[in-house]
Formats: sequence, C-alpha cells, structure tokens
Amino acid sequence: MNVFRMRAPGRGALRAWGFALAVASVILPALPLGPLFAQPPMPLAVLWAAYGWAAEDESGWRAPLMLAVLGLLHDQLAGGPYGLFAAIYVSAYLVGRIAANIMSAPNLVSLWGGFIVTTLISIGVAYVLARLGLGRNISVLPYAEAAIITAIIFPIVRPLYMSASASLRAGARR
Amino acid sequence: MARRRSSTRRAGGGRRVPAGVALGVVLIIGAVALIGTQAGRPPQGVVQTGDDGAAAAGRVATGPARAGQGFFDRLFGGWNAASRIEELEAENRELQAWRDLAERLAERNRRYEALLRMPQDTFGEGADVENSIAAQLVLDSGGPFMRTLVANAGALHGVKVGYIAVNENGLVGRVVSVGQHSSRVLMLDDYNSRIPVMGEASRVRAVLAGQATRRPELSLYPYQLQAPRMDFIVGAQALREGERVITSGDGGLYPRGLQVGVARRDGDGSWSVALAAAQQPIDFVRIIPFVPIDPPEATADPNATPPLGSTSSVAAIGRETMTPPPTAPTAAPAPRPQQPRRQAVQTEAPAQTAPAQPQPQQEAPSPAEPATPPQ
Repeated sequence: MNVFRMRAPGRGALRAWGFALAVASVILPALPLGPLFAQPPMPLAVLWAAYGWAAEDESGWRAPLMLAVLGLLHDQLAGGPYGLFAAIYVSAYLVGRIAANIMSAPNLVSLWGGFIVTTLISIGVAYVLARLGLGRNISVLPYAEAAIITAIIFPIVRPLYMSASASLRAGARR
Repeated sequence: MARRRSSTRRAGGGRRVPAGVALGVVLIIGAVALIGTQAGRPPQGVVQTGDDGAAAAGRVATGPARAGQGFFDRLFGGWNAASRIEELEAENRELQAWRDLAERLAERNRRYEALLRMPQDTFGEGADVENSIAAQLVLDSGGPFMRTLVANAGALHGVKVGYIAVNENGLVGRVVSVGQHSSRVLMLDDYNSRIPVMGEASRVRAVLAGQATRRPELSLYPYQLQAPRMDFIVGAQALREGERVITSGDGGLYPRGLQVGVARRDGDGSWSVALAAAQQPIDFVRIIPFVPIDPPEATADPNATPPLGSTSSVAAIGRETMTPPPTAPTAAPAPRPQQPRRQAVQTEAPAQTAPAQPQPQQEAPSPAEPATPPQ
C-alpha cells in the first residue's frame, strides 16, 4: 500500500502525459507541419487512451465523455462529419471494456492482443461509419494504416495509460 | 480484473450496466445519428464556424513553428551564402535564356491565336485571375479520411464555394466550405476528389481520382461505345510518361488549362499524377474566382432565327454545308460526255473553283411524271 502511495504521483504524471499525447495526436495532424505529422504515420493515440481507460475501469462517465469530446475535436479539425471519430473512439472504449472483462490475468501480451482486437474492431467501425458519412468513395485504408501503427507502438506507450501489471492494478484498487 | 468483473454485478445477483458503458452506448447512438444527418450534405453552419475558430487557433499555434523555420533557414543559409549566390547567378543566366525563348513563343502563340480568332485564355478559361485572393494555409486536415486544408480567407474576403485554389506550382483544389474568416479547400488527393484532366501534348482525357495518402490515380480505360458505363478516356496508349497533365474543363467545375502535375506510370501499369502543387509544402494559396462558361443554349439570342426560315438550326446547317441529296431529274439530261470528268476535277481541287452556292432542294417528281434514270 505504501509502495502504491509513493508511486501514485508518478502514475498521475504518466496519465497526464498520456492524455497530452492523445490530444496532440488529434491536433498535430491538423497543423501544416508536413507529412511526418499526418495521420498516418502519426498514431491514433486516442485509441490508446480509450483502451487504457477502459482497462483501468475509469470512473463511470468521464472516460467516454472525454473520448467523445476528443472525437468531436478530431472531426472538426479533419473536416469530416461530426460524430465519426467520436463514435470510433467511444466504440474502442466499449470494446476495451469487454476485452478487460474477458481477460482474467492480463499481462503485456494479452493486453497487447486485446488492443489489437480493439484496433481491428475500430477499423470495422470506421469502415461502416466513414462510408455512411463520407460516401462510398472513402477508403478506410489510411485509417487502417494509422491504426496498425498505433497497435505496433502500444507496448512502448502502455505505461502512460495502464499500470505496470495485473497484480499491481488489482492491488491498487484494493 | 476480478474486481472489474465483479463491478458489473450487484448484490442479489442482478446485473446492471455500468454508467460508463451506458453512456458510451448512448454517445455512439448519438454520434451515428449525427453522422446520418450530415451524410451527403456539404459542411455548413457549425462546421464553418468551427473552421473559423480552428483557423485562428491554427494560426497562433503554427506561428512559432513558422518563425522558427525562418530563423533556422536564415541561420543555416549564412554558412554557404557565397556558393549559393554563385548558384543563383548561374540559374538566373539560364532562366534569362528561357525567358527570351518563352517571350518569343508567347508572341508567336498570340499571333496564331489572333489568326485563328481564339478566345482569350490566360489562366484557364473562365478563371478570373485578376480578382484572385491570396491566403495562407492555417490548418491541414492530415486525417485518414479527408484531405482538406483551411485557408485564412473567407466570405469577408470574397471567397465563395466553388472557387479554385492554386499555389505557385499548380492546382491545389477547390473551395467546398466558406466561413467568415476561413475557407476549406478539398485537395486533389482527397478520396472524394474526381476531376477531369487531360494530357497537355497527347490530349488524352482522364479522370483524376484522389487516393488520400498516395498520388492521385488516373482512370485510363479504353473508351468503348458498347460499354457506356466506362466513364473515361480516349486513347490511353498515347499518354506519355512525364507528360504534363492539365485540367480539361469538362464538367464545368474547374477551368480548362490549369496545371495539375506530371503523369507517372506505376509498376502495375496504372497511371497516377505527381501533383505539381505538392512539389513543396503548401503554405500560401491563391483562391481564384471561377465562373463556368455558359452553355450556348443559355446565352442564345431568342430573336435569332435560323436562315432559310427553318425552325431547326441543325437542318439549316445541313443545308448550308452539305450538298443537296441526289434527286431524280424530271427529264432525261442531254448526253454530256465531258461532265463526269469536270466533276471529278472539281472534287479533287475545290479551292481552284468558285464555291458552290447553296441550292434549294428540288421538289420531288410527281407520280404522273415517272423519273427517268440518267444514262
């Protein structure tokens, strides 16, 4: 318990960085900073946040509401229809909740696998909703590329969104 | 995880949906409904207002980056100033030679156009380059679904939907949404961008289809009369690698003659275009008013009547330009052995003879006077 108390500020700082990264992944592609900051190759960091907040069992309403707000901001900056990214991010949150419930003893590999599944489902959601909102010409390929990059990088950034291990996360709640 | 699983269960074995999940489901349903209401409509209202705000924020956010870029350019530019000056002087000499050549060709082109009485075509037909509006790019969607950019000129500056955006290298896109202080330009590589283009030298027509992250693709299918659903193209084999691609003006959304890029053949045999506007990062754009050329029917003089009192202009044109159809003479002509030879000479060298006067059609012979075939 003492260990957890000592680590708590560090965890909060990490989460703040994770949140900042999520916001940056929404804003930076919108700035005319060159192809390096376009999406892809920029990862969809909000998916990390959605999955992490779902797995950490965040308080009831803040996580989905924040994801919806980030999604609407992304929609505004991307010029797309309102609700597209909001639905993608919130659906990733819901899938993350389901994945977290399924996993009995999560470790890095299973968390990564759960995130890959979440990413794949978000690609499917993006495919359906993008065609609904932007027409049949739209291809989901660029989104899929960005999502795959996001999934590949996940183990590196996982500490920003999730606790170190299952036992620690379980212990933290007790 | 055990706690997480138990959090979904409450005392008494009843299963309640957590608040986050319930809120998430509600948000998704709302978002899908929101998408459905906007489907097929151009951005308007809130989106345009949001663009204005985002453009202002983007201008502030990119200010330090632009200033920093300029600073580093000046700083590192000083290291090789002398060699850079020599390089620029050599380039300048070469450019002067090109300018002389261009002026000579332009003068010759003007004379040819005057000779042919061609309408003036300075910057794409219908483009009002005199009233163009310069704007700076402040936001770039950069997202996976759409390729748009936001420029800091809007309705207050005179921008309207449908105006053309170009930069110093070529066509960038078309204005699809206008706010008070900003406008959103749909770029050529957006998935929804389909513009008619043609090869400048080969005149091969194609449709340029945006591919978002890749170079726009040229839809080059052989034109087949029996397959009208084939949308595009005449003479795809005539297109050359590296040929300049310009707008063809078909459809009336873009003026004819704007530079789009250079044709590139991909490994699988398909054609794409290396966009001219993408040679360097797009910073400033020029937004050009474009008024499509009216179809002739819209500007026709209602009082003008076709010649010869005909109600059909097509029929009148036919009477003026076509020889009258052969009709059976009412009487057998006298034998004139030299006539066929003279007619053949007229056909071979029409310029040496006087132009034939349009002749009214002869009346058909009456049944009482049977036609006699010529001998």
